[in-house]
Amino acid sequence: MKKIGFLMAATALVAAGSAHAESHEGRATDGHLNIIYWQAPSLLNPYLSGGTKELEASSLVIEPLARYDETGTMVPFLVDEIPTVDNGGVSEDLTTITWTLSEGIKWSDGTPLTAADAVFTWQYCTDPESGCAQLSNYNDVESVEAVDDRTIKITFSVPKPFPYGPFVGAQSPIIQAAQFADCLGAAAPTCTDANFAPIGTGPFVVTDFKANDVASFVANENYRDPMKPAFATLNLKGGGDAASAARSVLETGEFDYAWNLQVEPEILNQMAAAGQGTVVSAFGTSVERMHVNQTDPDPELGDERATVAHPHPFLTDPNVSRALSLAIDREILVEAGYGSSGQPTCNVLPAPAIYASTNNDWCLNYDPDEANRLLDEAGWVMGDDGVRTKDGERLSILYQTSTNSVRQGTQALVKQMWEEIGVETELRNIDGSVFFGGDPSSPDTFQKFFADIEMYTNNFDGTDPERYMGNWACAEIPSPETQWQGSNMQRFCSEEYDALVVEFGQTAALEDRAALAIKMNDMLMNSGSIIPLVHRGGVSAHSNTLEGVLMNEWDSELWNIADWTRAE
Amino acid sequence: MSEMAPIKPLVEVRDLTMHFDIHAGILRRKVGAVKAVDGLSFDIMEGETLGLVGESGCGKSTTGRAILRLYDPTAGSVRIGGVDVASLGSADLRRARPQMQMIFQDPQASLNPRMTVGSIIAEPLREHSDMDRAARDVRVRELMDAVGLNRAFASRYPHEFSGGQRQRIGIARALALNPRFIVCDEPIAALDVSIQAQVVNLLEDLQRDLGLTYLFISHDLSMVRHLANRVAVMYLGKIVELAPRDALYSDPRHPYTEALLSAVPVADPVVEATRQQIILQGDVPSPANPPKGCNFCTRCPKVMPVCHEVSPVFVEHMPGRFAACHLIDEEKDASVLRENKNDNVQQGETQ
Amino acid sequence: MFAFTIRRLLFAIPTLLAISFIIFAILDLAPSDPTGNLPLTISPEVRAQIRSSLGLDEPFPIRYLLWLKQFFINEPLNLIEGWTGWTLGDGERMRVTSWATRSPVVDLIIERMPQTLWVVGMSQVIAIVIAVPIGVISAYKQYSWFDQIGTFVSMVGFSIPTFFTGLVFIVLFSVHLQWFPSIYDTNHVIDSWDSFVFQIKQMIMPTMVLALATAAQLSRYMRASMLDNLQQDYVRTARAKGLTERVVVMIHVLRNSMIPVVTVIALNIPTIFGGAIITEQIFRVNGIGQLLIIGIQGADIPLVQTLTFIFAVLIVLFNLIADVLYGILDPRIRYE
Repeated sequence: MKKIGFLMAATALVAAGSAHAESHEGRATDGHLNIIYWQAPSLLNPYLSGGTKELEASSLVIEPLARYDETGTMVPFLVDEIPTVDNGGVSEDLTTITWTLSEGIKWSDGTPLTAADAVFTWQYCTDPESGCAQLSNYNDVESVEAVDDRTIKITFSVPKPFPYGPFVGAQSPIIQAAQFADCLGAAAPTCTDANFAPIGTGPFVVTDFKANDVASFVANENYRDPMKPAFATLNLKGGGDAASAARSVLETGEFDYAWNLQVEPEILNQMAAAGQGTVVSAFGTSVERMHVNQTDPDPELGDERATVAHPHPFLTDPNVSRALSLAIDREILVEAGYGSSGQPTCNVLPAPAIYASTNNDWCLNYDPDEANRLLDEAGWVMGDDGVRTKDGERLSILYQTSTNSVRQGTQALVKQMWEEIGVETELRNIDGSVFFGGDPSSPDTFQKFFADIEMYTNNFDGTDPERYMGNWACAEIPSPETQWQGSNMQRFCSEEYDALVVEFGQTAALEDRAALAIKMNDMLMNSGSIIPLVHRGGVSAHSNTLEGVLMNEWDSELWNIADWTRAE
Repeated sequence: MSEMAPIKPLVEVRDLTMHFDIHAGILRRKVGAVKAVDGLSFDIMEGETLGLVGESGCGKSTTGRAILRLYDPTAGSVRIGGVDVASLGSADLRRARPQMQMIFQDPQASLNPRMTVGSIIAEPLREHSDMDRAARDVRVRELMDAVGLNRAFASRYPHEFSGGQRQRIGIARALALNPRFIVCDEPIAALDVSIQAQVVNLLEDLQRDLGLTYLFISHDLSMVRHLANRVAVMYLGKIVELAPRDALYSDPRHPYTEALLSAVPVADPVVEATRQQIILQGDVPSPANPPKGCNFCTRCPKVMPVCHEVSPVFVEHMPGRFAACHLIDEEKDASVLRENKNDNVQQGETQ
Repeated sequence: MFAFTIRRLLFAIPTLLAISFIIFAILDLAPSDPTGNLPLTISPEVRAQIRSSLGLDEPFPIRYLLWLKQFFINEPLNLIEGWTGWTLGDGERMRVTSWATRSPVVDLIIERMPQTLWVVGMSQVIAIVIAVPIGVISAYKQYSWFDQIGTFVSMVGFSIPTFFTGLVFIVLFSVHLQWFPSIYDTNHVIDSWDSFVFQIKQMIMPTMVLALATAAQLSRYMRASMLDNLQQDYVRTARAKGLTERVVVMIHVLRNSMIPVVTVIALNIPTIFGGAIITEQIFRVNGIGQLLIIGIQGADIPLVQTLTFIFAVLIVLFNLIADVLYGILDPRIRYE
């Protein structure tokens, strides 16, 4: 219901935005735009920093060949059309893709954008010494060639059913070869000027950049649409926290747009009531989920702790996991912690719509009676102290997550909900930089998973779930042999699933890919090794005087800033 | 020198009372008062030295400070040279300051540690005279000479001097404005015995040369005997006896004075061996809560029932001799007025 | 005093070297990862590459020595070049480079200096201007209503954290009254009267929040020190000299009372350079304090190491300055 409402609102906004885009007077006629990113960008080169804030800030300046729009559909930016097998842009064997740049696109310094810039971008990121954060976008790329000034041919070493990794989306913009020529490999960090003020094809040009503080921009005189952008100057300020950023748009009106407002819904609603601005949200692929450890984290196991050699004493039973899932009232979690930026979900792959399964929706029904029944059936007997036991084993769970007030709130609620079905829960939270830090010498990382259940959010870039679903292959299980690297945190392992992963990589037709993705998602859900909780969206706020904002979780939120205008 | 002393009183103290309020509780309400000085009346003759003795905490120093208006007295008057300093406004008081000065007990603490000796001595001149800098320097050197300090030391700081030298600085400072009256508040108590005599001699010399009047506050009965013309004995905020020096030492009339004097060691070992010390029992009562009747009644060896009821009056029971004791009243009632042959100090009139 | 100062400076060198090593070791031992805050979509292999491009593969002693060389040799040479225009050596020196911004740490610090000095420095000045008279009057009229109110306000200033006062200020003055901006504009250039007024307006709230906290502390020191001195005998001497109360209090008591307060102020100065982490965050002043906290959050070890080391230098230096000041202000103290 909520989602439909949101979609309608979005559609209305599209209409309003496009209607206005035609009426505004021309480039640089709407004055100054103030944007606040409470986490300020530390540089404007997304290849040297994988952070979202850098990606978004740099999207004002540098652009990929195509972006995803607010519905997750690819839209051409620097090209006239998206290459597909049908239009001949993608070869039949799925190993090459050929892009043709639109005519007359110029860098902000007036020089023409050529295919050579794309080739350089690929070389820049794939240089082994550069430490490029977006390297995965160029996975399996064998070569990028400039067939002529406007034609870019990318050759993959394997068939790529989804060949839109390189140069599509905010993660993979094209940088100017001339500017970065001396910045390849180990020299990348020495090019401070270029990293702070890249030359781009986007609607704005950097005039001043203060790392982690403020960036100033002016409209790009050489932008391809002579009527855009509407704003002459733009400030991107950083610092503070999400609540104060929200306040500066919704209450004081000092800023026009604030990003990533992870604020308690109650507070945000209060601020929005001031009537200065509007809270907007959009949903991508982020899911707050619980990973259910399939291995035994018992410290007495020593070096073999949390490895596949020792299955978990009770969490490998899908019925136990199912009971835990049924006993969680997801609506309450959303209400308490997420508000308009969350919706209950039962899938680890909740979007785009064609990939979303409907087979697991039983979990949306909060049903502690059924949960109790499942546990009774599985032989767990309620003890005198309200905790179930079976064969001397107590149904006691160590539940860890990163330190974050919303997560601790969720933990507390879940603990209470589980108490009602006779599950004893011990809560633990770990500083995010440690938990997600992946330091193999730390016992507290999410890869080591020395707990029974851990909770965090994950997602995938773009719209294609192939790599994301590959996270749960057996080979991805973190273990001492892999220096505790790997993405299969819960140590789920199934030959059948591995086979589907391989099949996914060889299937080209969208419908078939969707069917596969749903099947894989359902397998994971049925195994009980993942308990999805909340489908999380991005929340931002914009001033009521700002028009044209199309909240987008598939690309940069600022993806269409060229179309933003000031209301009369 | 005593014969030289004129008979005109320079300082007339009447009913001088100094109570310090006690505050307590959250709102710091007044809950009582420490009766540090409780209705003193006495005169100091021009050119004489009046010794003021008593145990620690009896109110001697408070008396000295209240006389000089370093405290605002609770009641009473202090006329110095005919002017009641106890009721002067602050501007008039400042103008009156030059004639009355004080020498403090602790020469270290009483000197501003961040000022040079020269500027400490010169400061009153700057405040109260229109001397220019050069004239002030000349005067500072004179004063330093007068108190026996090397004039080259004017630019040094107090901490660079010994205790005796510091007290000389304090004296020079007090003399700067040619005062007539100086309160010496235990000026030698903090000094080495070897230095004490030097300072006392200096005070005597200055008195002779400059015609100064001293109120010499001390707990050292021998030093007072050496220096004072008359001696007043204080107990718990009141003067219990005031008499010419020799009369007091030879014939103390108040039991407290007797006890005090009995505690003074004598240099002659024969006498010392037979000295009968009167040991007072108990502690001094708190001045915040003095006993009913005579202040001394709790410890007096000769206490009588009346002492617990009625506070004795401070009266001149013999010409020039004052005391506050019911014993004396009894003697008076018996109409036996003894002539004290030893009293050869001329006394001034008191009202 | 000169010999004392030189000797103390010489002693400071091994101290600071030890401090730099300890800081480096602590930062290195801390379980944090510069790639820890990246989105989970970035794979472990890419993270490993990023770490190795940052030089994290090198063993600990090598990284420490490299930092020492960069900080103590390369950066000073660079500064000298910048000031004099000379070219020393080949000019291709590796500077201490932040991992998050990939830019020289010293440049970042210089960029942050103006706002920190403006806001935090001014708050210290205002704090002194407020605290000294309050302390003096409170002590002079001990237990008067002025003193009681002063004590109450000081306790409030002491006990209420700046993030709370900051928030109250914003809600009151930015949201309701709309007098002052809640966000500090670090790009603001003062070139006219109006822009100067704007600078004052944007400085008022962060400055006052900090000044309130500092003034609370200073006024208590001032009051205690004044009370201490008012009871000294030399004050009675000064009164006995017939000086006016103004002279007694201002010249005799105040000057002596300032000795400990000046020391406290001198020891506070490093915190001016250290910025105010919380207040800078609240008002988006984005000075040194915010730089430090971002560095810590992002595990930007070169940045944190350099900043904390500079703080250590300032603290050692101002401790020495406080000692020397003490010697100058108080003639009783002599350093041999």
